[in-house]
Parts: sequence; structure tokens; C-alpha cells
Amino acid sequence: MRNDVSIEVVSIEGVERRMMRLKLIVFAWILASLPMPVCGKVDFVEDVKPILESRCLRCHNPNNDQGDLSLAGPTNLFGTDRSLVVPGEPLQSELFLTVIPDEVGARPRMPKEGSLLSDAQVRILRQWILEGASWPPGLVLREASKADTSWWAYQPIKRANANTQFTTIDHFIRAQLEATGIVANRLADRRTLIRRATYDLTGLPPTVEEVEAFVKDRDSHAFEKLVDRLLGSPRYGERWGRHWLDVIRFGESRGYEQNHLINEAWPFRDYVIESINEDKAFDQLIREHLAGDVFGKGDLHVTIGSAFLVAGPADSVGNQDPIQKAQTRANTLDEVIRATGETFLGLTIGCSRCHDHKFDPITQRDYYQFYATFAGIEHGTVPWATPEQLRTHAAILEPLHERRKALQTQQSSMDDAVVARARKRLSEYERQWLRPAVQRTGTEERFDPVVARYVRLICDMQDENPLVRTFNLDEFEVWSTGENSYNVALAVHGATARGAARTIEDFPHAYGPQLTIDGKFGERFLSAAESLTIELAKPVEINRVFFSSARGEEFYSRGEFRTVADYRIQVSLDGHEWTEVAAGSDRKPANEAHQRMRLYWAELSREEQKERDRILAELDEVDEAIGRLPPLPQVWLGSRDHADGAGPFHVFVSGNPQQKGDVVLPASLSTLGHVVPKYELPPDADEAQRRLALAEWITHPDNPLTARVLANRIWHYHFGTGIVDTPSDFGYMGGRPTHPELLDFLAARLQEGGWKLKDMHRLIMLSDTYQQASTWRAEAAEQDGEGRLLWRFPPRRLSAEEIRDTMLVVAGQLETKMGGPGFRLYRYLRDNVSTYLPLDRHDRETYRRAVYHQNARASVVDLMTEYDQPDCTFSTPRRVQTTSPLQALTMLNHSFTLDMANAFAVRIGAADVDQQARRAFQLAYQRDPRGEELTRLRTAIRTSGLRAVCRAILNSSELIFLD
Amino acid sequence: MNPMIDTTRRNFLGNVTTGLMGIGLQQLQASEISARPARPAKAKRVLQIFCPGAASHMDLWEHKPVLEKMHDRPLPGEDVVSFMGKNGPLMKSPWAFKPVGESGKMFTTLLPHMAQHVDDMAFFHGMHSQTNTHGPGCVFVNTGHPTEGFPSAGAWISHGLGSMNDNLPTYVAIPDIRGEPPNGKANWSNGFLPAQHQAIMMAAHQPIRNLARPHGVSEVEEKTTRDLLGFLNEHYANQRAEESVLRARIKAYELAARMQLSAPDVSDLSSEPEHMHKLYGTDSPNRLKSAYARNCILVRRLLERGVRYVNIYCSSRASGVDGLLNWDAHKTLKSDYERHGPIFDQPTAALLTDLKQSGLMEDTLVLWTTEFGRMPTRQENSSGRDHNPDGFTLWLMGAGVKGGVSYGATDDFGRRAEQNPTTIWEFYSTVLHILGLDYDTLSWYHNGLDRRLTDVHGRVIHEVLV
Repeated sequence: MRNDVSIEVVSIEGVERRMMRLKLIVFAWILASLPMPVCGKVDFVEDVKPILESRCLRCHNPNNDQGDLSLAGPTNLFGTDRSLVVPGEPLQSELFLTVIPDEVGARPRMPKEGSLLSDAQVRILRQWILEGASWPPGLVLREASKADTSWWAYQPIKRANANTQFTTIDHFIRAQLEATGIVANRLADRRTLIRRATYDLTGLPPTVEEVEAFVKDRDSHAFEKLVDRLLGSPRYGERWGRHWLDVIRFGESRGYEQNHLINEAWPFRDYVIESINEDKAFDQLIREHLAGDVFGKGDLHVTIGSAFLVAGPADSVGNQDPIQKAQTRANTLDEVIRATGETFLGLTIGCSRCHDHKFDPITQRDYYQFYATFAGIEHGTVPWATPEQLRTHAAILEPLHERRKALQTQQSSMDDAVVARARKRLSEYERQWLRPAVQRTGTEERFDPVVARYVRLICDMQDENPLVRTFNLDEFEVWSTGENSYNVALAVHGATARGAARTIEDFPHAYGPQLTIDGKFGERFLSAAESLTIELAKPVEINRVFFSSARGEEFYSRGEFRTVADYRIQVSLDGHEWTEVAAGSDRKPANEAHQRMRLYWAELSREEQKERDRILAELDEVDEAIGRLPPLPQVWLGSRDHADGAGPFHVFVSGNPQQKGDVVLPASLSTLGHVVPKYELPPDADEAQRRLALAEWITHPDNPLTARVLANRIWHYHFGTGIVDTPSDFGYMGGRPTHPELLDFLAARLQEGGWKLKDMHRLIMLSDTYQQASTWRAEAAEQDGEGRLLWRFPPRRLSAEEIRDTMLVVAGQLETKMGGPGFRLYRYLRDNVSTYLPLDRHDRETYRRAVYHQNARASVVDLMTEYDQPDCTFSTPRRVQTTSPLQALTMLNHSFTLDMANAFAVRIGAADVDQQARRAFQLAYQRDPRGEELTRLRTAIRTSGLRAVCRAILNSSELIFLD
Repeated sequence: MNPMIDTTRRNFLGNVTTGLMGIGLQQLQASEISARPARPAKAKRVLQIFCPGAASHMDLWEHKPVLEKMHDRPLPGEDVVSFMGKNGPLMKSPWAFKPVGESGKMFTTLLPHMAQHVDDMAFFHGMHSQTNTHGPGCVFVNTGHPTEGFPSAGAWISHGLGSMNDNLPTYVAIPDIRGEPPNGKANWSNGFLPAQHQAIMMAAHQPIRNLARPHGVSEVEEKTTRDLLGFLNEHYANQRAEESVLRARIKAYELAARMQLSAPDVSDLSSEPEHMHKLYGTDSPNRLKSAYARNCILVRRLLERGVRYVNIYCSSRASGVDGLLNWDAHKTLKSDYERHGPIFDQPTAALLTDLKQSGLMEDTLVLWTTEFGRMPTRQENSSGRDHNPDGFTLWLMGAGVKGGVSYGATDDFGRRAEQNPTTIWEFYSTVLHILGLDYDTLSWYHNGLDRRLTDVHGRVIHEVLV
């Protein structure tokens, strides 16, 4: 053993020799266990390439470069000092040694991840090296993704031809059901149908009158009429707009540490709702999302669409470290790239940031071509105005600003003159300033003994900025006279401190005046006004105060230690009559600015004072005029920085911005190169052109993904599950279509009908598949438990928004005002960073549809959060659905439910108990109570009154589940 | 069928399957647990203590004698530009380090109470992060991803192991009385996991929301409402016997009722004996320390009642004054840590002592975390330290952990992880391993990938395991 250790210390080569010995032993063992090699030469392309590509290249490729080794080409293998491959000598070839164990029973060092190479693979590598390890000239290897371009989703949409027998949705659905031997349910009853359709299209319940009318309507087109009525309702855009806002990760706070609220994003939310209500062609909407600001120049209704690009979170904290700053920027653009790929194409492009996509044919190069496309995007607000409005605004504002500037120049030249005059008599002034300047580390004032109950410090000028009178102090001491002099101001001696302080709402005393009398120096009182008052426990004779803002600090000149420069100390017995006992006016100035300010005030003549007052009055007038002009509204659209958007752009090796790989140009995805016309823009194409080209490519009629993904989303929202159950992932990791032909039928109809959502709703909702009952049948469920073949309509729970809206409707409280700034169910606190505290009471201003809630990221808002409203940090193509005790606690105990129960009870009104019971059920469920229901309702009303009943109904399953 | 697709499919069913915040209903939960423990677990519950603001490794945990020798001299070989900009010369720790315990580990005199536990801690001195910014840093250490929106470790473990009680949450987050940490609730978010895996917020100063019956509702009225509701929901569910979610909803209301009884009980510290209050320091005149001490007692009460994961915070966010509300000591390290140290020290040490004495530590894993480290240099013209993502310390203690071990180290100055550099993914691989879970199988399909707590990385650090 000792010998071995010394080898390790003495010589690395020794270690290698020892390893080699071991390997030889192991190799002998392997040889014995391996079948004899196949006769004939190993073919590199057929035999070796697949091994390297599938087992080595994920880490050892030019864009990842683990261990500074790429196996994509032969360069790193031969002729380097590492001798990874010595032709003819497997036992001297590291490539071979690394895939066999170092000793019997050990794990080979490679591959690091996944299973080991099979015996056959090891044998092939050995044989290849034995035979000379030839590498066909020019051949470059790539890690193969699991799916290639022949993947179903990347094929052109199959369009119906004259011979097709399938012309309706029901044809496709029935064919599969028949093949499985299941029959579909019968049509649902009318009450079920109108509830289903009304919630589906508007997110609200029908009224009891609407239900009655529909049930009685004998017209064979009754359902069609209903669907048309609902599609015409403005409530439709609010419901389907919300779906789209989920997909495009629309949130109204910035996310990350600061997470400040964004109050200027609502115009984009309104734009989405309006676009859907007016049935804007959806390919146009997509183009507007990516480049509305490019082709819609000046038209606010088009420009606003491109707020999609900045609808996601982005870190707003500044960073002086250039490497970290570059990383943050890359993260911001990554968010935009992911959102774009997933939303429109169902492609998880983000997975190609560090290496080629493992599952889908999306290369790392593809990713950085998108990076180049979006490189000009900056998050933030811009004026929300047409060029014409901007010009008009500027025309009014400019002269005012000029006037302001002129006045300021007048004032400062006068000030300079006054100060210059004073400086000539500086020595005269300085004779009045004999005492040392205020020291931030500690300043003392002594005065004649005086009995005081109150002591106060008044700041006349602050040292950092003599124009203001706020100040910081870590301690303020007041010393009693006599031999046993002590600091009577300390809180432990019963003193209290008062003074307006900067506040933090959720931590009220963070900067409070109590910090000046706690006997500690680390924390400072940050005054919000000009004084600090100490009330002593009792009147006591004092003759000294001592105060500081940076006691014991080495770097006391830093801004956070700012404190008083000119001050007065006053005492009082009753808190009304004050006597001045000391002042700082005879101290030397704290600094240049302080000196200037003192000189100025001392030197200012009566005439100059008048002139100064005149200028200030005029400045006030100008400021008032500016204030009267309504400021230009702002919108969260972000800016487009052409300099940032200018290349050259590179692949970031392993996703690291500091490791630049190949140069890339803005271009289309290679994934669809075989079906959609490609483009690649020249390096000098500006960022606007880049986004426009991408928008055109995504909405190109030959692009099979865009229409398929959208058609599937529509289906998903109607039936709860898409034909592909991963609506934003049509790749290898996503679901497979249950009805691929139907998906293409829908996608084709969508394109051919001009991308109109309303036509698609009609097509789907008028099918028998949609209108069938939700009845569960054991024999059908045995064949298809999940119901993916649609032998029944899938029942569902309402979404968080539907639940809150329904409670408001049932209580007769819903305010249907559309658009504008949103409401909040939280209190927003901001102290550098943001805190969101859910509200215990929801006032009437919150009685709007939940789509108008200003959703902040990383906030938790009771009912909305408990019922799975997503934290809009990621795109949410499909909401999860949970059942939890927190839902019960919120629904039972939050004051909102009680408020709604009270209003609901009032709405039911005074009547006999049976009538009240009936009315309650009609308003909530649009049906009458039956049998035992009625008896129970009677008893409950009689025992505890209507409110108790209303609160139970608002919590009931029937209110929030749909057949 | 391809096994990978199969996994995806199962997870997907999980997405819509009803779970009950991990409370009760084992049969429903079982279908929702995608990763069964891979081996017998050493620990079954977790306490994660988080000190936000980037608590300095070289002032709290990792002794750097070279800094004492080279105080006020430049850092050799590097002109550091960090988060706030330029750095000044090297700065020694304001606190002396002394050998403690049987291991003789050099330990700061700032934390005298914590010193008694050093022999049971396994330090990870070679941690490094990807970000130097608090928000991303905190979520990175809590979720394994520096970008927002991912599930926190507690949510993953709730997903992996489920609940151990039938009247309390599975996962509790206890924010500090000074407010929430950087990035707020994202730190204990369920991310894209179902909402039942979110942490329930509570603290000694802050009860669980909506726990109490609303004002103005009498006991009689409450009973009427509940009876009628019970009837309506039963009736509706009976007509749709196949819809398990309706049955689950009834159970959820029953569990909520039990929680209404047990949660106030768990937060009622008056039943704790006087000596416990003294041990933790709830009698401290320092309001912040006594508040944190009360939260520490609450932690023990939650753990002993079967809460799976407790995430407690000591300090909060970046305020208008650096280092005031948390460990972010940019400018005045000494006075900042003389404030934060004593708040943290006695209560935390008492909690660890209490867990040991009560036997809970036998199957409890303790994590101490912060988002990154601090620079060995002083920030230019200040006596504080700037952010340092390249080296910092975390530690583990308790079930399954080898005590008195230091794994990894930063260089002589504390500037960079040098010996056994360790990622947060490896740290959590180790945590999951102790809990009987495998980091590479605890996953959830989301937007194109089977997502994991340890991203696409991970490695168990066996050196710290018993």
C-alpha cells in the first residue's frame, strides 16, 4: 500500500501505468467474456457513428465541450497529446479504456449518464480501433434527437379531398368509437346543454329565465341560435381572452426579487379581449404579437399586440458584474424564445439552449437564430400615444420646459453672484464659525444646567443636501448633571422618542425614532421631517447632549450616514414652551455645499430676496402649467433597441454567454425546413425586419404547426383535454394525437375559414360529440377509462375565475364594466422590493369579472390561488386541478363568501319558506329543489335563516361542477 | 409502449388526479405520488432554515486565517468587480474563530450557542451558485432553478412522500416577522406541481389564513350551514359515484374542519413550559429575537405533529437600507451581523437541542441554507462585503448525516469554491437520497420535459452520509 501511495505522489505517469496494468487485467477478463468479433471490417457510418452519436455527443460536442473534448469530428481524437485513439492499439486508446471498468466490478468512467455501453458496442469500438480507426473525411457527427423531421407534427396538414367520407367532427369520433366497440352517449338534456354552452363560451351561468326559454324552445335550430347569441356577447371575449392570457403568460408584475407591480399592462389585456370579441383573424393576432409595432406603426390597436413579447417576467435588478449582467440578459431573452416556441408552434425550443434538443429535431443553432431575432427587445413602458399625439404633446410642453430652463439659469446665475460676493468676505464669515464641524461619528453640545422634561433636535440643513431638513441618527444622548451623570434619554430609563420616520408597512418601526435611544449604534432613525423629540421619564437637570449617525464607522462619509449640518437643540418642561440651549450655526461648515448654502443666506440682500421670490413664483407657475397638461399615458410595450439588436450573434457554448461559438443569423427553424419556405436574413437586417420575417414564417400557410396547435387549443378548452393532451408540446415528450385525422381536419378548416375562432366554436359545439350527455357508463369506461375517445362529454369543475364570477352573479353583485385598470385582491407594499398581502375584505370595486384582476407574480390570493389560477410566471397551456382543505377554509371563512351570502339572501327576498327555497335553487342551479332537498332547505331556513342556506349553496359542489 | 412515454402519461394523470394537500386520504394520494421511495429512508421529515440576504460564509462557518494575515491588502491576482461594482482590499472577519467540539472545528465567536452543535453538522464549504442576485439566488437554492416558476424543494418532497398527518398541512413556510424573503412566496411555491404541494404560510405572529369562522356567524348558524352543505354535497356526489373528485371534496371539508381545531392548538405556545421559553429565548427583550424564537418553538410543534417539511426564515428582504432586514451586509458588516447573529443564534441552537432531546432528530433532516456567499474583500469605501456567487457554505444535520464533517472548501481567501466544488443540485441529490428518494426519478412533466428538483444534474455526496 505504502508503495502505491508513493507512486501517486511521485509521478502521474506512474499512476497511469498502474491504471494500465489494471485495465489489462480487466481487459483479459472482458475478452474472455465477449463473443468473438464478427468477421469482416467494422463500418464507421453503420457501426461506430451511432454509438458516438447516441452515447457520447450529448456532452462531447462543439457546443457543449465537456472536458474540452468534442467527438463530432476526428480533430480531438488523433494526433493530440491525449492519444484518445491510437489506431491499431485499443489498449493505448483512452476512448476505449474509458468505457471499460478500471477494475473488476467497477463502473467504467464513461458514459457518465445513462446505462453503460453494451458488450457489443464495446466490441465494435475495439474492433474499429484495431482496424485503424478510420474516420470518413469531412463527416461531422450530431447527437440524434429521439424524433426527427419525419415526426408526425412536422408533416404537412392532410387536407380533405373529394373522395373523403369524413366531413364532420362526428364522423371522426364515431369511427374510432366503432373501432373500439363503444357507443356514444345520447344527447344531453336542454338544461345541461345551456349551462354547458353558456359557461363554455362566457364563463358565467345562464339566468333561470334563459334556461326556461331554451328548454321550451321547439325550434330545431334552438342550440345553434343559443351558440350564436353567446358568441355575440362581450362576455365571450372575457372568457376566451382569459384562456389566451394563460397561454401567453400574461402577468402584471415584473417577477424576481423586486417584483414591482406593472400598472400599464392592462391595455394589452383589453386588446386580447377585444380582438377575440371581434373575431380578429388569429394569424393576424399572432403577427401582431410578434411584430405589431413594426407593421402597425402609429396604429395603437395594432402596436399594442406586440406587448406579447414583454408579457413575461424579467429580472429588473441592476448588476455591475458584466458576466452576471450578460447572463441575466440571456435569461430574459430565453423567456421570450420559450414563450414564442411553445405558444405558437408547440415546440419546446428552450430545451436547445445548452445543446441540441434531446428529443426533437431542434438544434442549438435554431435556438440562437431565434435569439438573434429577439435581441432588440427591452422590457418597460413607453408613451401610449400616436405619433400625432406625441407631436401635439411635445408642441405644448417644449416652450414650457424652455421657460423653466431660462428661469433656472436666471436663478443660478444670481445665486452664483451672491455666493461669489460672499466669498470675498469669507474670512469675515469664518470668524463666526469657530467650533469644529458636526462629526457624523459623534458631536457634543454642552450648555448651562437646565431642568428639562423634553429635549428636541431641529434640523435646519442636512449635510448631504443642505436644501432638505431630513436627517439620520443612530443615537441621541442626553446627560444629566452631577457626579453620577447618566444618559437620561435611554429607553431603559423610561424615555421615549418621537419624530416622523420613513416607514415600511409590514415592518413599521424599521427606521423609527426609538432607534436613537436604544443604546445601540448599528441601526439608524431615518427622519421624514425636521425634528426628533425625546420625552424624559421625569424632569431632570441636564447640561450635555451627544449625537451621531455613524458611531464607530470607518467609512462615515457614505451617503447612508447623512445627518444634521445646521441644527438647534431646545428644551422644555411642558412640551409647549421651548428654550434653545445650543445651536450648530457657529460650527464650521460640514462640507463645501453646506458652506455655500450658509454663505448664500447670509449674503442675500433684501432686493435679491425679492428677485429670488419672483423667479420662484414664476417657476411655480410654469410647473403648474406643466402639471395641468395631462401626462401621456404609458403602456407596458417595451422598447426595441436597435443597437442591442445588431449582431453579430453567436451560439453560446453550453448556454454560457461568455463562451461564444459559431456565428448565427436570424433565420427560420431547421425543424420545419422541409415543409415551410426557409429564410435567413443578412447580418445587417434590423431587428424589426427580423421579427417581421419570423411572424410571416410562423403564420405561413404551409406551416403545419401553427394551425394544428391553435386548433388543438380550441378543442382542449371545449373538452377539457386536447386531441394532443400537451397543448404547448407537439414534440416527442408531448402526447400523441388521439384523433390525428380530426386534428388535421380542424387545422385545415381553421386556415381555410380565415383563422376565425367563432367558426371553430360553431363547428365543434354543433356536433353531437359536444352535445352528448356526460353520463358515465361502466362498460364504456372499461374500454376507455379516461374518456379520450369521447363516448361521453367530460364533466368539469369551474375555473377559479368562473367560481368567483359565479358567486358574484348568484348574489346579484357582478359588475360587468369592461376594460381599464384592473382591481386587486391584495395589498401592495413596496420597500425597494414588493410584498403582496391578500386582503381580508373585498370591497365593491372588486366585484368585477376575475379576468380584470391585476395578477401579480408570486402572489397568493385566497380563492383564486386555491382554485388553481396559475402564477403567470410560465405559460400555462393546461391548468392543473386540485382539491384541498384550503379551498374549504377560504370558501367557508373568507368575508367575501359571507358578503355574497348576505347579498344572495337579500336577492331571494322575503317570501314563504318554500318560495325562498325554490328561489335559492333557481338562482344558483337554475332548477327547483326536489324531494329531500326541499325538506332540508325548509329546516335550515327555519333554524338559522336564509344566509346560512346561501353560504352552504355557495360552497356546494353543484355550484362549481358542470355536467 | 416506450417506457419514457409511459412515465409522462402517468405524470399526466397525476396532473388531474385529486390530491388533498397531502392530508389524509391515503388512497387518493397514492395515485398522485409518482416517485415511491427508492430505498428505506434515513429521514422522514425536513427542517429547512433559510437566512436570506446571503449570509457570509467566512464570517459564520468557514474560517479563513489568511484574511487575518492579509487584512487591508489587495486580493492577489484579481481586481474584483461584483454586483455593486468595485471592491477594496481584503477584510478579515470582525469575529475571532475558536476551535469547538470534539472535532475542533474553528468556529465563529459570533454564534456561541450554535457552536455546541458543530460536531453534528456536515458542512458543504464548496458551494457555488449561478447568480449573484438575491431573487434568482433564493429561488435557485429553493427550487434548483435560477429562473422563476419552479416548485420548491418542500413541494417536491410533498409530491414525493405525501403527508404524515390528517389534520395539518404537509409543508409549512414560516416567514420572519420582518417580512418575506427576496422573491417572496416564489420561495415556497408549488410551481407547476398541483396546488396541494404549496407551502401553507403560518408563523407564531401570523395564523393560517381563513382558519377562523367568519365574524357574525354563530355556532348554530355554522352548524346549519355545514349540515346542509354536507347533505347537498353528498347528494350530488351520490348521483355521480364515479367522480372521485366529488368525494374528495367532501373529505377536504372534513379535513378543513379538523385543521380548524388543530392549527390553533399547534400555534398556542402557552402550553410550553417556562424552561422551554427560556431555552429558545422567547423572553428576550429583543423583539425580533423573541419573535424568531417563538417561530422556532412552532417548528418543533409542527414537526412533532407530523408536518413533513418546514421552511423557516430568519430575516427578510433587501430594504431601503442594506443589511438592515437581512444578512445582506454591503456596507456595515459588523453592526449588521451583531444585529442578525444574536437573533439567529440562541433560538436556532435551542431548536436543534430540543429536536435532539425529544428524539425527533432521529428521523429529521435539518438543512441550513442561504442564497450565496460574500466577498473576502470589502466593498469599495465601506466596511461591508458584496455578493459572491462563487463560494459559500450550506450545512446538513440530523438523520442520515455524518456529523463533524466538512466537505469541500473555498480557496485561502474564501473567494471561490476550490476543493470539491458543489452545486445546489448535488446538495439536494443528497437530501433526497437521505429521504429515500432518487433525484433522477422524482419528476413531473411540464412544457416539454420531465422536470426535476436537480434540473438535468445531480450526484449524491456520499462523504456526508453515515
